[in-house]
Amino acid sequence: LKLALAIALAGPFLTALTAQDNKADTSLQKNPFAGDAQAIEWGRVKFRMSCAGCHGLRATGGRSGPDLTRGTFAAGDQDSDLYGVIAKGVPGTEMPGFSDSLETDEVWRLVSYVRSLTSRGAAPIAGDAAAGEALFWGKGGCGRCHRVGTRGSSVGPSLTRAGAQRSLAYLRESVLAPDADITYGYATITVVTRDGRKIVGVERGFDNFSAQLIDVSGRYYSLQKDDVTSIQREYRSLMPLNYGRLFSEAELTDLLAFLASLRGGPP
Amino acid sequence: MRLAGTASLLASSLVGILGAQAPSDTWRTYGQNSQGWRYSELTEIDTRNVARLAPRWIFQTGLGGGFQTTPLVFDGLMFIAGPSNHSWALDALTGRPVWHVRKAPPPKLNLCCGTVNRGFAVNGDKLFRVYIEGTLVALDAKSGSTLWATTLADYKQGYSATGAPLVVKNMVLTGIAGAEFGTRGFIDAYDVETGKRVWRFNTVAGEGEPGRETWAGDSWKSGGASTWITGTYDPELNLVFWGTGNPGPDMDGDVRRGDNLYSGSVVALDADTGKLKWHYQFTPHDVHDWDAISDPVVVDLTLDGKSVKAVIQANRNGFFYALDRTTGKVLRAKPYTKVTWADGIGADGRPHLIPGQDPTEEGTFACPGLGGGHNWQATAYSRQTGLYYFGSSENCHLFFKMKQTLTAGEWYQASTVEGRPKEHGTGAILAVDPTTGDTKWRFDLVSTPSAGMLATAGGLVFTGDAQGYVIAFDARTGKVLWKFQTGGSVSAPPISYALNGKQYIAVASGGSMLAFALP
Repeated sequence: LKLALAIALAGPFLTALTAQDNKADTSLQKNPFAGDAQAIEWGRVKFRMSCAGCHGLRATGGRSGPDLTRGTFAAGDQDSDLYGVIAKGVPGTEMPGFSDSLETDEVWRLVSYVRSLTSRGAAPIAGDAAAGEALFWGKGGCGRCHRVGTRGSSVGPSLTRAGAQRSLAYLRESVLAPDADITYGYATITVVTRDGRKIVGVERGFDNFSAQLIDVSGRYYSLQKDDVTSIQREYRSLMPLNYGRLFSEAELTDLLAFLASLRGGPP
Repeated sequence: MRLAGTASLLASSLVGILGAQAPSDTWRTYGQNSQGWRYSELTEIDTRNVARLAPRWIFQTGLGGGFQTTPLVFDGLMFIAGPSNHSWALDALTGRPVWHVRKAPPPKLNLCCGTVNRGFAVNGDKLFRVYIEGTLVALDAKSGSTLWATTLADYKQGYSATGAPLVVKNMVLTGIAGAEFGTRGFIDAYDVETGKRVWRFNTVAGEGEPGRETWAGDSWKSGGASTWITGTYDPELNLVFWGTGNPGPDMDGDVRRGDNLYSGSVVALDADTGKLKWHYQFTPHDVHDWDAISDPVVVDLTLDGKSVKAVIQANRNGFFYALDRTTGKVLRAKPYTKVTWADGIGADGRPHLIPGQDPTEEGTFACPGLGGGHNWQATAYSRQTGLYYFGSSENCHLFFKMKQTLTAGEWYQASTVEGRPKEHGTGAILAVDPTTGDTKWRFDLVSTPSAGMLATAGGLVFTGDAQGYVIAFDARTGKVLWKFQTGGSVSAPPISYALNGKQYIAVASGGSMLAFALP
């Protein structure tokens, strides 16, 4: 017990020392490989193997990682900020730190690569985000299934960080063609019960013997495959397919400006 | 020291109370027998009573997960080689720990797939396992204390070790991992008493070795072909069979033109000398990371009315193979999953390639995906049903190629794979007739298979799944007869043992070891 207490007391002191050491390494430092073509190519190869699983092969945002082509980053826009994110990760998100597996120079090369993406992806966002927000909660009825921060429903994926996680093109596609890609864990589950009833909802759980789902009214179901006629999981969305007709092009641009502005952290 | 002494006394007294287990009551090697069958002769748990199977104990290791181990059970104890160089001995009756030892891995390891380990081997009172940093150690089974340790290869050059060793005669055989780091694979044999190396077989043919001509330039030096899953042994032929992994770099074949022997192969080695008797390369010049490391299972098959000495493998490239284990000649080859890269295997043993399947900068869609087919998860062969059981991924990928410069010890894959939108890998448990390659039954899985297999003389097949279920099937029909939700993903194969006349099924799940028995 005494030993544990001593470690507990020393803990914050040790942490402070470590943090200071790290800071001395990289804060306010310039990237020694900024704009270096060889470093960028090295970074591109490394990115494909280590980062693309979350950020997408083209860094435009993937299963869980943000779009990195916009030239603006949630954890700070300086090269030293990017260095810190890659080396230490971002607490409270899925971004892990890579300082155990990457040398300092390698992190800087990745920073160079991420910087090189900006010119390709950063189309300025037109549209009026405030008008888009009104459409989101009003005419679009998006909040009936989606959540932004603490407002809205949890049937569909949370959009609290949609602007940080996804490219504008991806967001546009998601509004106009919701079936094009399905956020992981949000497939559609259709159950036919023994008495012929059909229950359709969004996946909450799915394994070899059971399914859990929530229907659009928010009701939760858990069903064993042995107890029903069929359970089917499909990679399609329950989102309405008519937003292309419901919204004018100007309204759509406003809505996308609102979605792109959503960069909130985890609550 | 004092603590180890206490543990040692405790272990001795437990064995004294319980007495020796009959050979069929124990599990003394990775594949249950040296042929790699994973078939238990125990019959207490059978198709009629398995529905009543219930947990008897759960041992929580305190680790988060990552257990791929095959536990060994003998003398009333269960021996677990865990991840991150943890080892335990448990009382097999109660699950209570008897000893625990750990050698902390060095920092900055270059690993493709975590600090996993797949189990112990045993000879007398000596347990053998590898540590992740590429060492082979002998531990005293009574206390866990280290008897000797031998470095297999330098971890700073990208080598690591994860497989269970195999005891053959007075030697302990082991493979090596690290084909994603520009290494050169091998199979080693060490003296069980001293840890001194008896022989080494290089799985990448180098200067002066037959097969060198199958590697352009100096590409053999970083040719991969690691050997990360345990081989098998036929005492009658005195041959060791061992599967080899992908050539390196995985997806850029341009820098290593040629067949790249002996990657993607099974090699048959003289057990005493390590000399190559024959080889068969399933995937010449592989560019899809289709290792051939799956257990090479030694069985005698009746083909066209004649008994044939065979070695069988569900290869990661999507084909099931039966080879003549005296010559390496292909006896049967048949796809068990969707395959787009070859439309058959010729009489000369070479695949008939379908053009346009190799990785490109833009991505090439090919099946099976990166993980296969059947990957590394242990397979089972039932003497009772004559069927061969394994998990198969139903999966395809876009394979990308890039140019990458090798830095010693660094990740050297030369690109990656990606799934297509809305296409998510699923899988199946398959029961294949090894005399034809035909699938006799299948159980569809919602995701790719994660666990290994166990067949028993009770007419059962056991496995687990990624969502945490342990499942028992009727070995003949594939009907699910029992399941239990363990609460942790199952990435290890189940085993069976008997103690005091009672049969147990044991399997690692999440960070725990569980044992089941009838009430």
